[in-house]
Amino acid sequence: MLLDARDLHVEFHTRDGIAHAVNGVGYAVDAGQTLAVLGESGSGKSVTAQAVMGILDTPPGRITQGRILFRGRDLLTLKGEERRRIRGTEMAMIFQDALSALNPVMTVGDQLGEMFVVHRGMSRKDARARAVELMERVRIPAAAQRVRDYPHQFSGGMRQRIMIAMALALEPALIIADEPTTALDVTVQAQVMDLLADLQREYRMGLILITHDLGVVADVADRIAVMYAGRIVETAPVHDLYKAPAHPYTRGLLDSIPRLDHKGRQLYAIKGLPPNLTHIPPGCSFHPRCPMARDVCRTDEPPLYEVSETRGSACHFWRECLDG
Amino acid sequence: MAEPILEVSGLVKHYPLTRGVLFKKQIGAVKAVDGVDFTLAQGETLGIVGESGCGKSTVARLLCGLERPTAGTITFKGEDITRLSGKALKAVRRNIQMVFQDPYTSLNPRMTVGDIIGEPYDIHPEAAPKGDRRRRVQELLDVVGLDPEYINRYPHQFSGGQRQRIGIARGLALRPEIIVADEPVSALDVSIQAQVVNLLARLQTEFDLSYLFIAHDLSIVRHISDRVAVMYLGRIVETGRDSEIYDHPTHPYTQALLSAVPVPDPDAREHRERIILTGDVPSPADIPSGCRFRTRCWKAQERCVVEVPALAVPAAFRDAAGPAAHPSACHFAEEKQVVPPEESRLNGNGPG
Ligand SMILES: Nc1ncnc2c1ncn2[C@@H]1O[C@H](COP(=O)(O)OP(=O)(O)OP(=O)(O)O)[C@@H](O)[C@H]1O
Ligand SMILES: Nc1ncnc2c1ncn2[C@@H]1O[C@H](COP(=O)(O)OP(=O)(O)OP(=O)(O)O)[C@@H](O)[C@H]1O
Ligand code: SF4
Ligand SMILES: [Mg+2]
Ligand SMILES: [Mg+2]
Repeated sequence: MLLDARDLHVEFHTRDGIAHAVNGVGYAVDAGQTLAVLGESGSGKSVTAQAVMGILDTPPGRITQGRILFRGRDLLTLKGEERRRIRGTEMAMIFQDALSALNPVMTVGDQLGEMFVVHRGMSRKDARARAVELMERVRIPAAAQRVRDYPHQFSGGMRQRIMIAMALALEPALIIADEPTTALDVTVQAQVMDLLADLQREYRMGLILITHDLGVVADVADRIAVMYAGRIVETAPVHDLYKAPAHPYTRGLLDSIPRLDHKGRQLYAIKGLPPNLTHIPPGCSFHPRCPMARDVCRTDEPPLYEVSETRGSACHFWRECLDG
Repeated sequence: MAEPILEVSGLVKHYPLTRGVLFKKQIGAVKAVDGVDFTLAQGETLGIVGESGCGKSTVARLLCGLERPTAGTITFKGEDITRLSGKALKAVRRNIQMVFQDPYTSLNPRMTVGDIIGEPYDIHPEAAPKGDRRRRVQELLDVVGLDPEYINRYPHQFSGGQRQRIGIARGLALRPEIIVADEPVSALDVSIQAQVVNLLARLQTEFDLSYLFIAHDLSIVRHISDRVAVMYLGRIVETGRDSEIYDHPTHPYTQALLSAVPVPDPDAREHRERIILTGDVPSPADIPSGCRFRTRCWKAQERCVVEVPALAVPAAFRDAAGPAAHPSACHFAEEKQVVPPEESRLNGNGPG
């Protein structure tokens, strides 16, 4: 396994108390695989990714428990310098907002080239040539001229592709993409996702794709992990999950999206709101919103039950849910 | 169809581009809205879709009288409201209210919910006598599914979905006949989105409202709209009933747009044909000659460079009465099915 995060816990000390943002998350991704992490706003997707990348704000954040095995080594036990080296060369991250992730006062060519100068000891001239190559790779037209431009001179879709180029520069084994296309229009989103999927196949990278869009997941992922209130409530190969969800939350999400291919009746709406992370409900954290909840759900926290060799569900009644 | 309650004709909004400080010289114009026509019938929902910058919000602002058009007419119940001013304009404006996209910034953080929802009554005191306002506001809170006891709370004490309900309650305060909703659910999570969409549908029946529903999410627009207009660079390029647009699109841009929407069905991956458009949307300050879509269109010919295609039923379909016979601004309009019909597996009614 390329990356295997186990039983991760992250909390934030806030004015209102301790926010339990991540509560025992585990997920794994292999080379050449795409794992989609899906969940509503605040469910802990980004915080988990930041913990894996080693870019969590500490304080206020704190990893209180867990292991992050990358190529067999626990990243949480590594020294700062070694961790930085791995982060710079073996894993990379793509963010939602390219404009704030790129340096505004440096040309994109210099930013791309710097990676090769710092990590590969290349000359400026060779690094510049590699930068142009990379920009061509991510289909920036007239790359040789545009290499001298600054980030704000590119459109949103092009900036996102430049950030992909930057993440790919050193051919990392693992890429974490945190909502890489959320800010883009659908036609541009299609361009960018297409490119990302192509490159991932070509370099056989592991890809963790964070999103809240069930359509994007269905399009590109091999596996999916659904998060709710800082936990993974269901994980499965994508085809299985869309065919028959094993958690009422997943089922509710699938039923609440309008369809493109026909005009539906009234949408199913999951009642209520996601919990406040300083006061997560006892038992199953989804129980106040769950149409299947019974007494045991209010008292006993469901473990991630094994639904099959490749699937898990954190619902006491996963069998009933699976049967519809 | 019923008599239209709203009729928009030749609507144009150009923002001048100027140079110089002392002596401003106009060097061009951002053609945000560049000739838009549509009608809206009583009790109907017209959806407007299109990518960022195509002019959707500008149309919304023009309809609500927040800005004046450069040219064109907006006829509400037989009267051109672009020519009105003063009292007459104010009276008409009561009937066309707006709900905004961003539930986080469109509400004043220093005002209580009661003041926010009751604010329209300050502008239109005739709509509710002073002593009656509190009761009216509480009624509105109830209508949108919020606890009337929340009247003294501040926006930060609410979630995104709840704030959007507050925005809708404010939009309803003056009992308008038309609601212009500009991306009302785009900032919300799917589970909350469904709650708000259902609320809008319920209110429409309850108050016989007409909606202009603006969004870039094509699935939501299909769900809520009776008719749909697809905008590109300041113009409507195709319009029709929801199934005409989604199941029988004839304009290449609509086809590309629909084919790019990710659908929540992994099985669709293999049999879907994606039309990946190359290049970016041109600037509205520099609109291509002829067909404005031609720079990204895979069908473009010489004719597209020189001749502007009109928004009309294309000649090829004019004599047939089928679903392809709807207005489409393309010289080479052809039917192409891009949304594969799937079995209605996901159309259940929730768990349990
Ligand atoms: N620096 C921080 N200080 C305090 N709380 C934080 C911090 N970063 C994240 N959190 C909290 O942790 C929780 C999980 O946040 P996270 O960003 O992981 O959510 P997410 O699933 O990525 O949501 P979104 O879809 O909105 O990006 C949130 O409640 C958030 O407020
Ligand atoms: N006051 C203004 N001055 C100059 N240009 C403007 C002004 N308002 C809007 N524009 C321009 O007009 C065009 C249309 O903008 P508009 O906000 O209507 O687009 P939109 O379709 O609502 O986009 P989005 O989906 O991003 O909300 C854009 O290019 C925009 O930059
Ligand atoms: S008119 Fe020409 S350029 Fe425009 S959409 Fe049709 S084929 Fe494409
Ligand atoms: Mg996030
Ligand atoms: Mg807008």
